[in-house]
Parts: sequence; C-alpha cells; structure tokens
Amino acid sequence: MPDVQVTIDGHQVSVPANSTVLDAAKVAGIDIPELCAHDALKPIGACRMCLVEVEKQRVLHPACTFPVSEGMVVHTASDAVLGARRFVLQLLFSERNHFCMYCQTSGSCTLQDLAYEHGLTHWEFDRAFPKMPVDASRQFFVMDHNRCILCRRCIRACDELVGNRTLGLKNRGADTMVIADMDIPFGDSSCISCGTCMQMCPTGALMDRASAYMGATDEITRVPSRCSLCSVGCGVELIVRGNRVIRVEGDWDAEPNKGLICEVGRFGLLHERRQRVRKPLVKADGALADADWDDALQKAAEGLKSAESAVVVSGFSSTEAAQAAVNQLPGKKMALGGALVNGDNAPLSVLDETDLIIVADVDLTEGYNYRMASFPIKRSARHRGVRVILLDDEPNGLDAWARYKWSPDEAERAVELAQHAEMPVIVYDQHSAALAQELAAQLPKAKTIGFAPEGNTAGLAEVGISEPFANDGFSAYYVIAGEAAEVPQELMDALAKADFVAVQASYREPWEDVADVILPSPVMFEKDGSLVNTEGRSFELKAGVTTRRPSEVEVIERLGALL
Amino acid sequence: MPKITSLAQLHEIHQQYAPLLDSRTNGQGVEGGERLLLVCGGTGCHASRSEQLVADLQTLIAEHGLEGQVRASITGCFGFCEQGPIVEVFPDGVFYVQVKPEDAREIIEQHILNNRKVARLLYTNPATGEQIETQHDIPFYQRQKRVVLRHCGLINPEDMNEYLAAGGYLALGKVLAEMTPETVIQEIERSGLRGRGGAGFSTGRKWQFARTYESGEKFIICNADEGDPGAFMNRSVMEGDSHAVIEGMAIAGYAIGASQGYIYIRAEYPLAVRRLEIALDQAREHGLLGKNILGTGFDFDIDIRLGAGAFVCGEETALLNSVEGERGEPRSKPPFPAQRGLWQQPTIVNNVGTLANVPYIITHGADHFRTMGTETSKGTKVFALAGQVKNVGLVEVPMGTTLREIIYEIGGGVRNGEFKAVQTGGPSGGCIPSQFLDTPIDYESLRDIGSMMGSGGMIVMSDKDCMVNIAKFYLDFTVEESCGRCLPCRIGNKRMFEILNKITEGKGTDADLAELRDLAQVIVDTSLCGLGQTAPNPVLSTLEYFWDEYLAHVHDKRCPAGVCEQLLRYEIDPETCVGCTACARVCPVSCISGAVKKLHVIDQTRCVKCGACMEKCKFAAISKN
Ligand SMILES: Cc1cc2nc3c(=O)[nH]c(=O)nc-3n(C[C@H](O)[C@H](O)[C@H](O)COP(=O)(O)O)c2cc1C
Ligand code: SF4
Ligand code: SF4
Ligand code: SF4
Ligand code: FES
Repeated sequence: MPDVQVTIDGHQVSVPANSTVLDAAKVAGIDIPELCAHDALKPIGACRMCLVEVEKQRVLHPACTFPVSEGMVVHTASDAVLGARRFVLQLLFSERNHFCMYCQTSGSCTLQDLAYEHGLTHWEFDRAFPKMPVDASRQFFVMDHNRCILCRRCIRACDELVGNRTLGLKNRGADTMVIADMDIPFGDSSCISCGTCMQMCPTGALMDRASAYMGATDEITRVPSRCSLCSVGCGVELIVRGNRVIRVEGDWDAEPNKGLICEVGRFGLLHERRQRVRKPLVKADGALADADWDDALQKAAEGLKSAESAVVVSGFSSTEAAQAAVNQLPGKKMALGGALVNGDNAPLSVLDETDLIIVADVDLTEGYNYRMASFPIKRSARHRGVRVILLDDEPNGLDAWARYKWSPDEAERAVELAQHAEMPVIVYDQHSAALAQELAAQLPKAKTIGFAPEGNTAGLAEVGISEPFANDGFSAYYVIAGEAAEVPQELMDALAKADFVAVQASYREPWEDVADVILPSPVMFEKDGSLVNTEGRSFELKAGVTTRRPSEVEVIERLGALL
Repeated sequence: MPKITSLAQLHEIHQQYAPLLDSRTNGQGVEGGERLLLVCGGTGCHASRSEQLVADLQTLIAEHGLEGQVRASITGCFGFCEQGPIVEVFPDGVFYVQVKPEDAREIIEQHILNNRKVARLLYTNPATGEQIETQHDIPFYQRQKRVVLRHCGLINPEDMNEYLAAGGYLALGKVLAEMTPETVIQEIERSGLRGRGGAGFSTGRKWQFARTYESGEKFIICNADEGDPGAFMNRSVMEGDSHAVIEGMAIAGYAIGASQGYIYIRAEYPLAVRRLEIALDQAREHGLLGKNILGTGFDFDIDIRLGAGAFVCGEETALLNSVEGERGEPRSKPPFPAQRGLWQQPTIVNNVGTLANVPYIITHGADHFRTMGTETSKGTKVFALAGQVKNVGLVEVPMGTTLREIIYEIGGGVRNGEFKAVQTGGPSGGCIPSQFLDTPIDYESLRDIGSMMGSGGMIVMSDKDCMVNIAKFYLDFTVEESCGRCLPCRIGNKRMFEILNKITEGKGTDADLAELRDLAQVIVDTSLCGLGQTAPNPVLSTLEYFWDEYLAHVHDKRCPAGVCEQLLRYEIDPETCVGCTACARVCPVSCISGAVKKLHVIDQTRCVKCGACMEKCKFAAISKN
C-alpha cells in the first residue's frame, strides 16, 4: 500500500498506510503525551491521555490506536484536546493515592511529569483515598497499588514481550487491580524476576528496591552499554547517579533483546553477595592479605616464571583483555567457560519467525543460561502458536510452554514432527552440541542457535583463545576470571594441585582457597571494551562509572612486562 | 431424520408439516386433528410454574384417555407476562390468563370434555369490566405487530417440525439456491433493517463491509449477552424461536462468506442455552448446519460460548475478547470488527433480534418490511415494558408507534400515581418526560430527546419516583459494571456517583451540580466504549428535564417524591400523640424526648431516619415527609 499524507498541527507528513496517528506525530516531531501506550506494546487506547482532534470526527480519538487515512487533518493542541488531557490527569489524581513527595519515583515518573506539564496545581475533584495494599513479597521490586493507574503496561509486557503471563487483573471498574497469577502474593507467583513490567511502569507502582528514592531524571545519566554476563549480550542502559550504577534497564533500541533483559542482567550484579576484590591480595601464612600493586604483581610474576604456566581466560573478559593476554603473557591460553559450539549460528530473531522450536537438553531459565532467549520462545508459543519441543529428562523452566517433552533419547520423535515444519529452529549449548548436530543433520531446513558459554567466548575465539580448559599438568596458572562464579570443577581441582595460582578477579569467591595472588578486576559496569555475542555480533561495552583501579588490560600489560 | 439435501426436498417437508399449525393460524380444526393446549414457557410464566401446569395437563389428558385427541404443549413467550401463566386452546382460540397448575383439572374437565369455557380464567378488560375470550381482542395485543416474536406463542420451540411447518429454513434455502451473497446483502440493506442491539447501524451496510475484506476466515457472532437489567427480549426469542436465530446466522454467514458462527450467551440463561443446543443438534441432523448445506456447497456451523454475565461483555469488542478467552474489555475502534474482529479476522456481531428479523425479510421481501416503521427506522421493535405500568410484559410494535400508545394502550396506563417519565435504552438511555409522550419512536427521535433505542428496555416512572435517585441508581449500575480499562469511565463515573450520592443525602451544592454537568459531558466525549460514552445519559437527561428536582434536593434539602431517606423528616403529630413513650424507647439514638402522657418530640438534628419510631407507634401519630 502506498504511503498516506496526513497533516498534524499544520505539518504535512507522509507515513505508511498502517500507521496510527501517534506514529505519524512521531514522524512529524510532534509530542503527544501517552501513558498506556509504549512503542514495544500493542496499543489499547485505555488511558485517553493521547486524545486528539481528528477533523470530520464527532469525538476525540486516541492517537495511539487511531489509524491514519489519506488527507487526514489532526490537531493535537486545540482547546478541546488540552481540556481532555487535564481532565484525564485530574481524574487520575483523584482516584488512587498519588502523593509525589512521598514517592520513591518522584522525579522520574511519567505521570508526575505530565501533571507539571499541564499545570495541575490542586485537586479539582473530591478524592477517593481508597485503601490499597502494597505487595512487597518479591525480592527485587515492590508493587504499590496506591500508585497504579491501571494502564496495563506491566500486564501486556509480561504477556506480549516476555510471554510469561504472570500478571492479570481482578475486579472491575475503579476496583480493578493488577494481580499475579490467580491473585497470589507476587513473590509466590510464576514471575521470573525479569523486571520488564517494572521497566514499563510509567508511575511508581512497580518500584525497584535498590534504586528507590535515588533516581530523579535530572540527577541520573543513562549510559548505553551491554550486559556481558551471558553470550546473548543484551543491550542495556546503566542508570548512573554519583558514579554509582543504581539500576540497569534493557535498551529498547538494542538487538537482539529489544529492551528485554533477564533477572541476571538487571539485578545480578547490583545484588551480588560475594565480596569484591578492591585491593590486590597476596597469600601469606596461608591467608590472603592486602598488598600494594607492585608487590602483588611482582609476586605473581615470580610464581608464574618459576614453573611451566598456563593462562585461563574467562568469557567475562573483554576482547581487548583477551588480546592483551595473547600478546603479553607466555604459556598456553585456554578458555575458562568451555568451547565455542556455534558453527553457522542463526540470529536470535529467527525465534520470532519460526514455526517450531526444539530446545535440545538445555534449560534457558536458570543460572547464567542465556535467559533472554527464553522470552521469544515463550511469546512465540503463547502468541503465534509455535510448537515448542523440549528434549530433556529433567524438569525444565519451559515445561509449561512446551507442546511436547521427550527424553533426548527420543530425538527421532522431534525430527518426525520438525520435518513438516517450515523453518524449525534448534536451540542448544555446549553440553548438548552433539544432540543438536544429530538433529540438524536430519533436518535440512533447520536453523540452529548454539549458545556460547559466558559473555564473550566468541570474542576470545576471535583472538585465538578457542581451546577449552583441559588439565595438562601445568604447575602454575594465571586465571583472568572477571565476574566468573561457576567454574568447572576440573579447573578448580587443577588449581588446587598447582604450585602457584594468580587470579585476576572481581570477587574473592571462588578463588580465596586456591589463589596465591588475587589482582582486582573491574565488573562490567566499570569497563570499556568490546565483546562478540553468540550470534557473532560485535558490541561495545561502556563503563558507567570510573574507578581508580587499573583496567583489565592495564593489569595484564603490567604483569606481562614483568614476565 | 435423514439430511435434507435440496431446496425442493425442504419445500416438500414444509408442505408435509404445514397442517400441524393450521388450527393455530387459521382457527380451523384439521379433519380428525387434535385439540391443542399451548402453555406459555416464557421467562415470567416459567417462574410461575407453567412447566408444572403442562405436566398436570398431560397427566389429566392421560387420565381421561384423551391422548391422540388432545395435546398440551409448551410455547414461547406470549408477552402478556403480567397475566401469566397463559394457556391458549386451539382450534377454539380461547385465551386463559393467570392459570395455575390447580386450574388444570377445570380446563380439561370443563372446557375440553364439556365445551364450557372456564369463565374465571378469561381476561377481564379493566376499563370495561368485560371478559375477553380471544387473544386478538385483548387491547394489549391490538396495537402490536409480532415479527421478531412471530413464533413465540405459536410453536413448540423444541419441536423442529413445527418450525419447518411455519416455513422455517425456507429463507435459508432460497438464499442458498437462488441468491448470491451480494443480492442477499442488497435485500437486507434495502429492507432498512438496523441493528437491534443498540446503536442501530444498517445491517446490510455492515455485512457489506465484512464481505469486502478479503480473508481466509470470517465469523458471524450472535450477541445474546443481553445485559440490561430487566431486559428479556433476546431471551424470549432464543427460548421461543431458537431456530430463527440459527437460520438468520446461517444467512448472514452466506452473505459475508463465513463458515463459522458463535452464539455468545450469558450463562444465566440456562433454558435459552438448552433450547439453542437442542435446535443446533436438530439443524445439524437435518443437514441445515454443517457441510454442504442443502447440497449447495455452503458450509456453516455454530458453537455456543457462555459469558459470565458482565454487562460490558455485550459490547461487541469486549465480547470478541471474551470469546477469545481474554478478559472482557473493549478494544479501540477503529478497526471495527467487520474489518478485524475475532482472532483479527472480519467478524459480524449482530443482536439476536437483528438476526431473527433476517429470515422474515428474506421470506416476505424487503418491500413488505419497509411498509412497517418510519422514514429512517423500518420494521418493528420489541420492548420489555416494566416499572409503574399496569401491563408489564414483552411488546412488539412497529417503529413509529408513540410512547403514549405503548404505555397507555398496550401497557394499560400508569400503575401507581401519575406518569412522570419513561426510561428507554437501559443504563445507557435517558429519562423522557411527559411532553414527549406523543413522539413516534425510532432511533433518531429517541436520540434527539436525550435517550436511545438501546436493546429495548422501557421502564415507566411515576410521581412516586425520585429522578435524582433514579439517575443515581443507573450510575451505580455503570460504576459497578465499568470494566475499568479506560479512565474516564472507570474514575469519572465514580466521581459522578459520589456527587449524586451527596445530593440525595442533602449535602449537595451548586458547585456540585455544575461539576456533575461538566463531568457528564467529558465522560461522554472521552470514554473508550459505548458503556462509558452513554453512562452519563440518565444524569444528563434528568438534569435537562427534571432540574427542579435537583434544585429541591440541593437548595431546599427536600426530595419531592419522598424517596431519599436522608431528606425525610419524621414528625410527631401533637394532636394524635398520647405520650405512650413507645417511640422514645425504640429510637436507637435516643433523640425523642417527652414525659409519659405528654407530647413527644423528635430532635431533627440527631434523627438518623431509621423509621423505627413510626413503625412502633400504635396511634399512627408519626409521619414522614
Ligand atoms: C456496554 C454495552 C453493552 C452492550 N450490550 C449488548 C447486548 O447485550 N446485546 C447486543 O446485542 N448488543 C449490545 N451492545 C451493542 C453491541 O456493541 C453491538 O453494537 C451490537 O451487538 C451490534 O449488533 P446489531 O448491529 O445487530 O445491533 C452493547 C453495547 C455496549 C456499549
Ligand atoms: S518480572 Fe518479568 S516475569 Fe515477572 S511479572 Fe514482571 S514481566 Fe512478568
Ligand atoms: S503497575 Fe504500573 S504498569 Fe502496571 S498497570 Fe499499574 S501503573 Fe500500569
Ligand atoms: S468506557 Fe467503561 S466499560 Fe468501556 S472501556 Fe472504558 S472503562 Fe471499560
Ligand atoms: S496512550 Fe493512547 S490511550 Fe493511553
């Protein structure tokens, strides 16, 4: 269909025929306030904040749902429109308990901003003061019904984007309330703590415990970066105040996550309980003690020189750090997390296009396991009727979304079904690579998505570190660990037996017992660099905060100079 | 029953069964035919034990060995619910009213066996005191024209042969065998049929839209939600003539190119659901639903979807969500369901009454249909007449009949006091004052006087009704029933309700009245769906026509109709009071003072208007006003 011409407040724009008035206004650069609409969600026209005047129409219409048509003339700032907006805001403030000065979101609240913009200085209507509960049963965030405007963005986000469908509504009219599952405490519900609902909420109704009261819009900066905790490499925005990251949000414009992130990326580091390594530590009399940089580096260099040493690099390191290790450090280089399994990997976006997904013996809903990838699988199952086949003997977080669940030994049953699919997709990780290969060999139309372990294993491979760790009897190790928490037992055993171990790590655990020297390493909020995700895309990591400690690369270079 | 596989065969079957109805339609007994006792099985009569009545009649028929000669059968609503249960005897045409199971014996033994009419069960015209024997001589029926209710009170809804005898499915047969979808739509459009579910959109035009959208799948939905309190027009059609609805849906399906239909009906209508299920099974057995209907290659089937009874689920887009298994909240329009409806496919949602008109129009022709009604509104309309009117019931009149004719000639006039207003359109309608009694009603005229046609509720109010309280009553309903999706309706109506509450408690101010008007107007202009857009109508219309009552409440703290409790004054008449102290002892807030054998006095500032004193006084010395 050809584009259509519409005139908004005197500006003529040409937009695709299936646009809404709101889309067209965005093209024309005209701001229409919205509360229930969000670019990532299907519009429902509920809040009536975006009402506009469309010529030849009897009543005002919501811009977010009203389709454009050729020659349409729209007014977004007429008296009728402004009057309706004020009315909507006045009504909103008359119902639930919005007392901005006591709200943790004050200063970064869409509702509050709109009220200021439209000159609301007092309550025009008698107030209802309903007694509304606060549900504080979740670990990371709180639902305060007093501030909910029932825009349903949280519900729609959990359903349309995450595919989890935890949230819903009960009651009718002004008594309508957002509920979790069948109206059970949020904390006991099927919620997976991805926090998408919270990021969607335009008010203080869903609030982050960690950043409550800390983030007025004009006091924070938003730093676009990446999450390097798994190989999806989600685009994030670091919300920074006073050289501290107070919150992490998904970046709506980023691929492959399109604004979504998982529990690990959003809350993981901010709620990390392990003890940070802030100063170099050197083992003396069986215990680690603070040391200065020169001593610690010297100690490490001595230990590594005295024996045949190997360097183990985790995928939490930037590509630059891995490159520095290759250039500067002697000894064999191995990847901590394991092997890169993906040959010709399809982009994650195929999950939103496919008609059948085989999840080959991997649980995408726990640990650091590429959890973001479970969202397109869930939403495809829910909304596009995509058949999900799980091959797994254990309980799997996707059980409720799977049409079929069989043992990996029954792979041929999956093949039988998938043969008739238009574009089957096989999802796997390094532990199930063989199974995936076997499936793919029988399904010529299949696309595969193999998840590289850790965040930047693909980046390591690019600089030549592609061999997974294997115990070849080295007697000294240098481990570039970063945030690594789950370490293969084989490596820990080897380290325990070695004569000398130096680790460059962000946290003391799990290294305390095996390391002779621990050198501080920045966490992802603190580093600049690049990484390559499992799809093979290169991304830029940007530090949200500065530290006085040397960077990952600097530490490696200084150590290298001593070797 | 083998499947009917062609129109010719359908005609044969019609001819074969037609005599079944002869005694009912032309008053002629069939040679060797039976006598028939038709008992009303409609909503009202059902509640008054008409089922027991049929059973008792049948037992007596057996007792007297009359099987084969006399038959008792159930039929759909006669409409004269005020006088129910109703029994009509054929071929005699005798119309008995207020018949109880206990009367069964007399009807059989006196009327059937001895040909003596049971005089005490005949209808008495209250105006003349005369007894009236036949249905068409009763004033209640004289102004009526039964089109949608054509088979109610005529056929047994559970016996498909009777529907076929009445020409059932011949319209579908004609459409499939002799008309193209386009000519069907033209015929319906030309008939002037407009939606009977409320808004009155041209049915033909709506079908045309759905027809033009290309799609692999389209749907027909029959809206049988009927959520207006007190309405039972749709229910009566489904209980009394379920096949007509099914036939109308199949014709609509053929016209727009749909092969699947749904009937969305509230679960509180179990009898209607049962009758529909029976009819669907019968239609399938006869090959009138399913694959290759009448050998024409047209496939169409219907499923029933039960609603949980929320008023808003009658709104077509909320209904779509509900059928899809989502919460019943409306969607923004446009896109309209005809373009993107059920599962985003083109969908026609039509009211039960609209669909029941369709076979009639096809059979009798658009030209005939156009002879009934006004310039803009053709055909008839069924109303559920209720409130302060003598003949409560279901009435069907040609469009253009005046309110006065309905209320006074059919309804028999106001029951309790003087006429004050009539409310049409249910909670979305307005209250119409006496100056408009002579308005010929159609979609436009009702809208012009601040009300609407709606689904057909018509409630008469007398001077004993307080219009402020009435407005509050309707708003209470909408506040309860608002789905809560859009803000003006969810919160605005609640604010309005609170203001009305203040006014009825005597705490209203002039500022409240101004705010009420403002709120009402903006809610109309900004709500998402028809519920919110029309919810303020009862307030707006009463503000317009009964402004003096609002002023009395606000300025004089008085309720002219004596309804608003908080504005009543309980007073003790000094002449009648004997000083027995009974009132003072029963008053829960001890605000009555007076010594024994002395005059008692109520402290008006402390009185909580509970009325306990008035009830207690043996000497009727206490009055309220
Ligand atoms: C709140 C609300 C409730 C409604 N309830 C009903 C109903 O119970 N039955 C009905 O047929 N239409 C109802 N409607 C109208 C429907 O939205 C729709 O217009 C109608 O079903 C279309 O059918 P028609 O063209 O045959 O009238 C309702 C509308 C609103 C706004
Ligand atoms: S955190 Fe995620 S899963 Fe939990 S309710 Fe919110 S959107 Fe749904
Ligand atoms: S919690 Fe927030 S996002 Fe959810 S409905 Fe309430 S205001 Fe909207
Ligand atoms: S007008 Fe009322 S019923 Fe309709 S969508 Fe809005 S809140 Fe729901
Ligand atoms: S943003 Fe359009 S109605 Fe809410």
